[in-house]
Order: sequence, then C-alpha cells, then structure tokens
Amino acid sequence: MTSRAHAKEGTGYVTVATSCNACTNKCGVIAYVKDGRLWKLKGNAAHPYSKGTVCARGHGYAQILYSADRLTEPLKRNRDGSYSAISWENAYREIGERVRAILAKDGPEALAIVEDPRPNGKYYSKRFINALGSNNYYTHNATCNLSLSSGYQATFGGTNFSADIASSKLVVFIGRSYGDGMRPSSAATLARAAESGVKIVLVDPRLNNTGIFASQWLPVNPGTDLALLLAIANVLVAEGLYDKTFVAEQTTGFDEWAVELAKYPPEWAEGITGIPADTMTALARELGAAGPKGVIEQGWRGAFGCQYRNSFNTARAIAAINALLGNWNRKGGALITHTPKAGALDAGKFPTPVQGPQKAGVTEYPLQTQDNGTNLIVVKQGIEGKMKGVFFYNSNAVKAYANPRDWKDALAKMELTVCIDVQMSETAHQCDYVLPECSYLERDELPEFLGGKQGCVAGRFKAVEKVHPETRASDVIYAELAEACGVGEYFRFSCEELARAQLESVSVSYDELREKGVVNLGEPFAYDEPPTWKTPSGKFEFVSQKIAATEGLKLYTPLITWVEPKVSPGADTFRLIGGKQSIHSHTMTTSIESLMNITREYALERAWINAARAAELGIADGDTIEVRNELFTATVRARVTERLNPTALWIPTHYGGSSPELRQGFGVGIPHMEYVPFDIEPDVGSAMTHEALVTIRKVSA
Amino acid sequence: MTRYAMLIHTTRCVGCFACRVACQTQNSLPASDSFIRYEEQESGSYPVVYAEQVPLQCQHCEDAPCVSVCPTGASYINNEGIVLVNQERCIGCKYCMTACPYNARIQDHRTGEVEKCRFCVWHDDGSVPEPACVDTCVTGARIFGDLDDPTSEVSQAIVSHNAKPIAAGLTRAKIYYVR
Repeated sequence: MTSRAHAKEGTGYVTVATSCNACTNKCGVIAYVKDGRLWKLKGNAAHPYSKGTVCARGHGYAQILYSADRLTEPLKRNRDGSYSAISWENAYREIGERVRAILAKDGPEALAIVEDPRPNGKYYSKRFINALGSNNYYTHNATCNLSLSSGYQATFGGTNFSADIASSKLVVFIGRSYGDGMRPSSAATLARAAESGVKIVLVDPRLNNTGIFASQWLPVNPGTDLALLLAIANVLVAEGLYDKTFVAEQTTGFDEWAVELAKYPPEWAEGITGIPADTMTALARELGAAGPKGVIEQGWRGAFGCQYRNSFNTARAIAAINALLGNWNRKGGALITHTPKAGALDAGKFPTPVQGPQKAGVTEYPLQTQDNGTNLIVVKQGIEGKMKGVFFYNSNAVKAYANPRDWKDALAKMELTVCIDVQMSETAHQCDYVLPECSYLERDELPEFLGGKQGCVAGRFKAVEKVHPETRASDVIYAELAEACGVGEYFRFSCEELARAQLESVSVSYDELREKGVVNLGEPFAYDEPPTWKTPSGKFEFVSQKIAATEGLKLYTPLITWVEPKVSPGADTFRLIGGKQSIHSHTMTTSIESLMNITREYALERAWINAARAAELGIADGDTIEVRNELFTATVRARVTERLNPTALWIPTHYGGSSPELRQGFGVGIPHMEYVPFDIEPDVGSAMTHEALVTIRKVSA
Repeated sequence: MTRYAMLIHTTRCVGCFACRVACQTQNSLPASDSFIRYEEQESGSYPVVYAEQVPLQCQHCEDAPCVSVCPTGASYINNEGIVLVNQERCIGCKYCMTACPYNARIQDHRTGEVEKCRFCVWHDDGSVPEPACVDTCVTGARIFGDLDDPTSEVSQAIVSHNAKPIAAGLTRAKIYYVR
C-alpha cells in the first residue's frame, strides 16, 4: 500500500486519492492513513462533485471499515431462516449448480441481477448476467429517477441535463433539495448563486433544507407539480413570452401543444396545486422575462423521479418549458453536456458476451430508458413464478425499491437468491447466499467517466489492507462466480488490467490517475451550440413521435397533458411522502454509529405534520403518533411544523430498519415502503412511491 | 500577534452535519460526543416560513468564563487566542461546563476529561491551524483566520457582512455570525 501512497515527512500519515462510496456521487476524496488504519477523509479539490469538501455521509460511511456489524464470511441460509458460515468454494459450487439448473430448465430469461451502481458494478454486474445469456440487468432507478430519465428521453432524447445555476437569473426547483440529497459542489454553487442575487424558487410540499437559499417557497400539493408546470407553459404561450426563433428552428409539435395548453390556465391549476393563480402567472412572467437565464432545474429523485402516476409527464413539461424559454445550451439555461467514454478495448482479452433475449419489462413498459430497466419486473415475475434466480449487488432492494412484503413473496418463490454486500441488509436476510465484499476503502475499482462542463475520469484505489481476510472485492467475486457457472472465459483479466486498458484508450496514464484521483478529459463545454436532439425527428419534441409510434400504451399520449395522480387525500387522510436527509444515503448508512447518533440526538426520524392539521388532531410536537393504512401500521414521534403542506405527512425514507445485525438503525423510525402498495407507473415502470394514503392518530404525549 | 477567530454564515448553512462528523474524526471523538451542536429555528406560519440552522461550539471568548472559574488552571487561553484545556491539570469538576454560557463544553464519557472545540490547533504539520469544520464545509459557510491581520479573509468578511457574536453583551466571543 505504501508504495502507492505518498508519505508526508514527519507527519506520521500517508494519503491515497480515491473515491467515496457513501452515495451515487462517488466524490473524489483523499484518505489519510496512520499506521495502516484510516484516520480521516478530506475532499479532493480536483473532483467536480466534491471540490475539496466531504459531506457528513462521506465522513460517516468511512467508519464501515471498522464497524462491528460488517459481514466477515460467506453465509448460507438454513431452513429455519438462520445463517451458517460456508466456504467460498462451496458457496460458488452450490450457486453454480443452481444457476446451471435454472438455465437448463427455464433459460437465461429467468435470471436477473439488481444493483445500485458503482464503478465496478456497472461493468461486472452487467457482464456477469450477460455472460449467463441474460439481459436482465437492473438498477435501483425505478425507485429513483426512471420517470425523469424516460420523460427527458421522450422530449430531447437525452436522459438528463443541468441547470446552469451560476450564470442564471432565476432557478425553479421542482421538489429537489441540494441541502438534503446532497452533492457538495451543487450545494456550493447554489449558495454562491443565492448570495450573488440569483432568485431561487422552491416548488415542494415541504420547505426543505435548501430553503435557506430560496426567495420563494411554493408549497404545492404533492403530486400536482405537473399542473403548476402546465399553467406556467400556458402563460408563456398565451402571452407570447417564449423564444420564437428557438421554437421555429429547433422544435416540433409546438402548434399542437399550444392548443392543448389552452386547457390549463393558472385559474385551472389553482384548485389542483393549492398555489394561487396570480402566483403562478407572476412566476411564468418572471421566467419569460429571464429566459434563457430563467430555468427549471433538472431534478433527480425529488418530486418526479419515480413518485406519481404522472411523473413522466412532469419531466416532459420541465423540458418543454426550458424549450419555450430557449434555454438549451445557453449560458444560464439548461445544458446538455458530453460524458466521455472509454474507447474500444482488445476483444480477445475482454470478450463481449453474446447478446441474450430482450430485457424483461421492456415490452410492458416501453417508454422507459432501457439501460437500467425496471427492477419491479423482477418482483412481478418472481411472484408469477417466471423469474427463478436473482443476484443483488450493493443493493437493499427488499427494503427500499418496492413494498418489502412483495419482494419477500417473490424471493421466497425463487430457486436461487444471492446477495453481495458489506453488511447484513434486509435484502441479505431474504437471500439463500450472502457473499461478503470488502469495503470500498479496501479495494481498487474501475475508473469512472464523468460528464459536465469539463469531462473527466476519476479513480478508486485501495487505501488500507483488508480488515477481514475472508472478504473479497466484487471483481474477484464475479470472476469466481463466473467460473463456477461455466462462463469464466469472460473474466480472465484483473480489475487493474481492465482499468489500465480503459485509461490507455483515452490516453490517460494509470499512474497519473492514481496520483491525482481525477484527470480531465476533452475540451470544456461550449455555450450556444444547439444540442444534437437524439429524437425520431431530430428536433426537440413537444409532441413525442416515439410515443405516437408505440402501440399498446395504457396512459401516456404524444401530447404533454395533465394526468391525475393515482390517489388523492381526503379530509381524514394524508398523502405519505418521503425524502432524504443529508446525513443518510438511502438505508445504507443507518448502520453507521456517528450518523445514527445524529438521528437520535436531533430526533430526525420524526414524521413531519403541518401545524394546523396537528392541532385539529390534538397532536403536539414530540407526541407519539400512529401512522396507519391498509398495508402497515407503526408508531413514530411527530414533528409539528409550519414547513409542510397540510395534505401531506412527510417521513425520511432511511429508517425503520428491521435487520437485527445492523444494530444502530434497528427499530429506529418507520419504514416508508411498507406503506406503499406494489404498483408500477403505466408505460414507464417506476414504483410510484408517493401514491399512498395514511391516517394518523395521537398515541401518547 | 495572532488572534484566531471564525465566521459562520448561517445564511449559507443547510444543516448537513458535515462539520460535526469531520470534527469527530479529526479529533478522534466517540460517535456520541461532539464539539459542535445545532439550534434549529423556525419562524412565520404556513405558507410564509423561515427556517435557520445555527451551529454552536466554543466561542473562544477573550474573557472566557470557563478559564476564570477553573480551579486548577487547566483551562487557559494560548498566545494565539485559542481557549484550550490542559488535560494533565483537569480534575473533571465541571465548573467550566456550568460557567460556559454557550453550553459548548462536553465531558468525554470514556475518560471523564472535559473538552471542547480547539480550532484544530493540533494540526497536521505544525503550521497554521486548519479546522476540520472549515475544511469540510460544503457550502463555504465557515471562514477561519487571524483577527489581528486586517487583510485576512475572516477580518474582511466580518466587516463586509457586519458579522456579530451570537449573543450581544454575553462575552467577548471570537466566533462571528452572519444571520
């Protein structure tokens, strides 16, 4: 290790440039190591997401290295649900036998893999399932940003963009909070922008922790952002406040959509959204005056990544307003930047598996972005008895991706379930085999290519030796599993050999990346070049030609129209909505002592309720309340606040841990997904995680 | 002379707790003990509401009450204006904890020693201190530097933002807040 690291004279520590694993951002960090033990992390100033800082999750999750709750050896489930140690060799042999039996009887389409992608997983998980002849590679996206990416694809052909906040005049956030679901550099940019006078508008049922930067909070009724956006588009078109040159040159379908938009004046949206018509009209006029420096921010999970039975159209409406304002690739507007990629590699050393049958779920949900798929099809086909085997990598799907009971039913029917993780998650508890990975600080991974105003490649390098000798890195586990399944020929190279080949293909030195952690690639983004629209028409589409050409759709139409949410709260019910807190990353970090101490000390597991609604129900701040619906009932303390729309009950989505091995998070707070009925957004494939109603009653003061 | 001080922009603080965890790591504190605590303030009524997070820690007062009540001289102000505790002299009597109007001192439950923010004075390589909370602050809400140097970033920011101690007339605190 020391040969790779840089000892600072007289300081007693060495530093290693690597990347964080506490969330999907994978920020560049510098690990400080004393006597072979990790001391602390600092941000890598060269990394575009960390810019030299580390968030609480990053500092906290590093403690997984020395956690007493880590997996230390392979486990096999006994008939009574308990687990016993098994050797790696026997685990591989048994898994290999079951895989071969499934392949022989049901074919490769009965096997799937599910992960929350990280640098190695993106390559190895996909390659492993492909090598078995299956295309059933799924990420967590159906419970994250699948509706967003699919909606964007149906308008401009790409799957995401970025608001150019630093150069903008007016930025409207739809449900996303940089202060909660944090990327450090984005939060820093927003802080500077707000201080320099950029107007920030938050459209969110909750005044979230980005509120400190906001000039205006619009506490929209959850699930109705689409109505607010249609009303804004209505005003922009009706009052001629749009970029007529851009619309004429770069778009298609405007005239048809303009006719549809006439149905959606602000007066129509007022009753749906709970926002006064005048407020929406004023915001539309401000956007029209500011365009192309008035922009709707791109979102991520927020309010329309996967939440409602209209989220796909919410994404399309955002893209369409940015088109009306002529924002695309303009300074202060909406940017579609290039992401660099590795070049072609030696096909003899890194052979490509033969293409298998179409990914399950693509036919039923044809508007989805297909790369990441909808993992909910694994649940559906598992319950139907069609999906026979599933591998999970770095994924707590059972707790977080859909209703846990449906996942359990599906997995119980399968013939093989395997979980690769660092800790005994709720998902591991439902699997036949649990394979322990070493942590991200104990392994090398493949380089990660990142887009943005300046493309780059970032590295992950081992900072300390393995703490638990029986744990193994994911690339090694996949290669060994592949050998056991009879497809080892696709994995006969080391992670470092592949990393070196990928870097060589873009003329980056492996040693330079190891030294710096980040190396820039290509030219910086240039403003004012119109994007290449990757749509059927080759233009921005207000009316989707892809949707027009797709048969058998159940909900969405080529036009961007209003779509009702699936459920609506009444006088006695609340819509259960959830969101992130800055100290946790999904459910993964609720095993971390220092982060859970913050949760306990500040009672962050509480359910938020609007003060006026709480008063009606006799609930005071800190009271214990029962949250009930037809699927689940549990108690939690209430946080009575003015910061929440009265139709909603908001809970942080990290809590309610039910794995006894993860002692820090066990039994703290309530589990969001237990309340959400298993259902799938028509045509798209998302989990519709906010389409659930609950009732509340006070239990005790 | 050098007189270290800090400025905290609560108008930039999203309450993300990064400073707390970075501080714990830098200073090898147990997970349950922190030199930084937070007060959350909510004002207004729906839908016109303002919410603010105020991080609090040792204010490194020039007239530190913790120092004047310490019976053994364990609490002292060093020649750079940093309030410190000499653990060899600390008898764990907690007078200082009671005297601190900011509730900024904690007792290490493992050793019984009383401790608090020390501006990371035991820094990496013997040069200028670089507090971990400043280094890790995601939104740049914290500025650290020398009050006796009028050209330092902290001195200039205090003037340009009209930053003030958290409570007027309490002590001569050297953490300045922009609110």
